[in-house]
Amino acid sequence: MGRVADTAGAGPVSAQAGVVTSSRPAWLSEAAALFAKDLRAEMRTKVAISAIGVFTLSALLLLGLATAALKEAQIPIPDTDLTRPAWDPAGKMALLWVLLCFAAFTGLAHSFVHEEETGTSLALRLSMPAGAVYAGKLAFNLALIFAVALVATPLYMLITGMPLGPPLVFLLVMIGGCTGLAGAATIVAALAAKARGTGALYSALGLPILFVFLALLLNAAKTVYAGPQPALDVVKAVGGLFSYGILLITVSALTFGFIWED
Amino acid sequence: MTTAQTQPPPTASPPPSAPEPPAGIQGAAWKWGVGLLMCYVIYGAFFIARNAVGFVGDSARIIFFHVPCAVLSSIAYFVAAAYAGLYLFSSHPEKRFNLELDAKSAAAMELGFLFCILATITGSLFAGMQWGTFWNWDPREISIVGMLLLYAAYLVLRSAGGEQPDKRARLTTVYILITLIPTVFLVWVVPRIQALQSLHPTSVLANPKNTSAAYKEVLYPSFLAFILLFVWLFQLRFRLYKLGAKDRSR
Repeated sequence: MGRVADTAGAGPVSAQAGVVTSSRPAWLSEAAALFAKDLRAEMRTKVAISAIGVFTLSALLLLGLATAALKEAQIPIPDTDLTRPAWDPAGKMALLWVLLCFAAFTGLAHSFVHEEETGTSLALRLSMPAGAVYAGKLAFNLALIFAVALVATPLYMLITGMPLGPPLVFLLVMIGGCTGLAGAATIVAALAAKARGTGALYSALGLPILFVFLALLLNAAKTVYAGPQPALDVVKAVGGLFSYGILLITVSALTFGFIWED
Repeated sequence: MTTAQTQPPPTASPPPSAPEPPAGIQGAAWKWGVGLLMCYVIYGAFFIARNAVGFVGDSARIIFFHVPCAVLSSIAYFVAAAYAGLYLFSSHPEKRFNLELDAKSAAAMELGFLFCILATITGSLFAGMQWGTFWNWDPREISIVGMLLLYAAYLVLRSAGGEQPDKRARLTTVYILITLIPTVFLVWVVPRIQALQSLHPTSVLANPKNTSAAYKEVLYPSFLAFILLFVWLFQLRFRLYKLGAKDRSR
């Protein structure tokens, strides 16, 4: 019964938010209320955060174990006395993103599946328009994936010796990557929850979308570590990454209503 | 729950079945027309076209089958997306969606999957002959395998979409519209990423000066043949759906 109260709690909060800042549009305060409710429910049970946390930690340890020999290995370049790293930094970053993609797809399904399982989606549908629901869920998933990336990336750097590169470009790639990841995961979670799907369906629908995303990330990673680059190339690589995430979120916002309303 | 909105008043069975005979003649015309054209393409590929400069042995002859399949596999996605968009956004009073549009988008997706598999296999054969490896993560190979994954994921969703045709249609059409973004990136962006160097001879074909008259004599009919094959299969698939729908409404 406590779960039903989660959604019912959205009413007073949204009213409060409306009083505090009346200049905000209605959907924004509704989305903020949904975000606050999701956060409170998550703090109560910690289902998503513990699932992602344990998955990420064990995956990091497995990776560290499997790649221990590769971390510092050098390969001689033929016909010279020079060597190059066996596992280049761009490759290290690509593997970090593979890890984050799978981490996202273990925990983010929770956002919509939980509403369907407990039957609270009907109450949610009554209390706010579809756009606000999408915005709230997206904000929650974004917060979750940013938190995971914030913890996992330094650990990954320690384990695999991935360098930082130019800090600003690195930061932009991480932000662009997380945005795209949350955008893809949120709309696919909504689809999978409606299709009465299991976790297998969620990954089957989501990973093909992330396939292109990983190609773009790989390109951006190569830009990060390729040394000094023309500014235009950096803008192209990082911009491509951002445009993918933003386009995904835009189309999701336009079509979410069709999935959400029965 | 029939959605026979395009047809005249949904009266009892006899009148709508009146235009059936032409469909038989039409079917025969399609079958013979496409069949003969395909025969010409196969003949032309082996007897009209010569070995191309810069290609290993006879490997260039696969162009006549691989390129139309690859082009069609991406066109099919856009056809499906057009029908999906029409399905979702063409407004209907009392929220009655036109399920025929969904069936058309599903037919396009199924055929796209078929042509995508064919393009992948023929492309891989070419790569094996020309570059010595069947798979080397060339940008075009990334594109085609990404498309293959998207098509497969769509079919998975369609089979998991549930029993209600209306709900399944909404979920699958939304998925097509969302995956349109990866598709656009796969078709136009990924092959142009500079970090991924390509060996694919796109630029050779894109310049008309590089193709001899003999190649054009076969390549253009080959495109026509594959497009007609697509249209014919599309019609067959859609007719099958309509028969199924009629059967269900009985």
